[in-house]
Amino acid sequence: MTASIAHTRKPRADGPAPRRRTLKGLWSRLAKADKVGLAFVLPSMVAVVGLLIYPVLSSVYYSLTDQSLLRRDHELVWLDNFQTLITNADFWSAFVTSIRWTAGSIVGQLLLGLLLALCLDKVRRFSGLYRVLLIVPWAFPPIVIGFGWQWILDDVYGFLPNLLTSLGITAENVSPLANPDTVFWTVLAINIWFGAPLFMVNILAALKTIPREQYEAALMDGANAWQQFSFITLRHIRNVIGLLVILRIIWVFNNFELLFLLTGGGPGDMTTTLPIFAYRTGWGLHQLGMASAITVLLLVFLLLMARIAFAALNYWEREDS
Amino acid sequence: MSTRNPATLAATTARHVFLIIVSIAFVFPLVWILVSSFTPSGELTADPLSVLPSEATIEHYRTVIVDLGFLTNLRNSVLISLASTAITIVLATLAAHGVVRFFPRVGRRLTRILIATYMFPPILLAVPYATIMIQLNLINTYASLILAYLSFTLPYAIWMLVGFYRTVPLEIEESAAVDGATKLRIFLKISTPIVAPGIAATAVYTFINCFNEFLYALLFISSTERMPVAVALYSITGAEVLDWGAMMAASALVVVPSVVFFMAIQKYIAGGLTEGAGK
Repeated sequence: MTASIAHTRKPRADGPAPRRRTLKGLWSRLAKADKVGLAFVLPSMVAVVGLLIYPVLSSVYYSLTDQSLLRRDHELVWLDNFQTLITNADFWSAFVTSIRWTAGSIVGQLLLGLLLALCLDKVRRFSGLYRVLLIVPWAFPPIVIGFGWQWILDDVYGFLPNLLTSLGITAENVSPLANPDTVFWTVLAINIWFGAPLFMVNILAALKTIPREQYEAALMDGANAWQQFSFITLRHIRNVIGLLVILRIIWVFNNFELLFLLTGGGPGDMTTTLPIFAYRTGWGLHQLGMASAITVLLLVFLLLMARIAFAALNYWEREDS
Repeated sequence: MSTRNPATLAATTARHVFLIIVSIAFVFPLVWILVSSFTPSGELTADPLSVLPSEATIEHYRTVIVDLGFLTNLRNSVLISLASTAITIVLATLAAHGVVRFFPRVGRRLTRILIATYMFPPILLAVPYATIMIQLNLINTYASLILAYLSFTLPYAIWMLVGFYRTVPLEIEESAAVDGATKLRIFLKISTPIVAPGIAATAVYTFINCFNEFLYALLFISSTERMPVAVALYSITGAEVLDWGAMMAASALVVVPSVVFFMAIQKYIAGGLTEGAGK
């Protein structure tokens, strides 16, 4: 059973529409738009503006104030928060940890997911069973990831430290989550465990849509396995991979729960990423204005990265057509 | 494959070995949580390496349900997630059908905008939400979480459903329109039944995401009575001595339904994404 849906590109008869980006143009378009259609779309648009756009704008405003969690009033301090942040070593340490955590997680998840998908695509027996087993981590709620792994890695009763000690690999039980030398690599491994299934499932779906004839033709032309992979397979799945990587970078970079529940950002600040730093600043130190400034910087950084990533995706799309 | 030479056989075997090892590693935590939740407390602490307990016990489940009142928390989670899912599905089906039928050109750009809202870190929204909830006196209410959850369920649901509604053939709707059906009737009686499986998958996914949410629940709910399971579980860690058996029983109660649901709907989530990327 394949889930392949062949997409036929509809020829554009009318060419690109003239763009009217002015407010007046928008109004005239709204006036001409289907009223019933507007009624369908409007409730969601109101919700998105009210629940996403307005809070983000007010976050930007709070980032310019000294708002505290304990007071209602605040004063505008303009860019003071940002000035404090860029001279703060803790901020930069959280920034670097965020980058390391995101890059390591995504590279690991992508490689493992790709490898699993390629294997699954070729395997016939038990492929259904593998698929079901291999998506299990993805279904774990963050809270259970946190406690489940803490239990498995517990320094006294945990399965893994005890196993390592009894095998003679470690001299005495240590939880890898409490050891500053290993904590980062441990949370990275857990996040790869958690995220690889998503890559696997989506890459597998994309692999199923590749026409088999292309491989046969390549085989006749004497292409070796690597050439087949890079010229046919990779070319067909790179858009899916590109989109997945963008979405997951954003998700992993923003993620708060996983690290908060696994380590709380510790030991010390070994695993304190920007979202955890913002949480500590806002709810630990009650400095909501400063926390807003951190999250605004976080968003600016993500928008910048997404801009670059989408430019790459557009480039590939043009090259494909 | 009809011709089986040693090289392809070796490759197939290597693939199976790799898949088996990774499968075991991926499923191990689930198995270990389940085993621990049925292991008597004494054995949990006596020999951490014994894989199977000498006898299964439900003492941990009793502790969780009777002593910790976990059922109240489960009910809170279910109510909050159901309400969020219902609101999300009503709004998102309307919007997805509306975009596909009435504003097809906007559709592509809208998909990008909705992906962009993915970029808003939950912690970014948490600050203004916290002040809004305080001002509206919504702290410790279900409403605070239902509102906050819409911020991430709605964009994703619209995104998924636009993909599903695009598959409805225009001709069916047009012939219904010729027969005199109103636009609302076409939406309710024609296109929505066709995409019902997609809506079901979206609803399940939305429900699980709300059920699993932690950050907003941690920030907006402090009364034990109103806590969803995630925060209730977290609050147990404040106890002097952590009862790992009970923790694992509670974890099993939360993770098993999620795993079952995810297995059922995973192909829809995958399909939506590849379709979007193929465009």
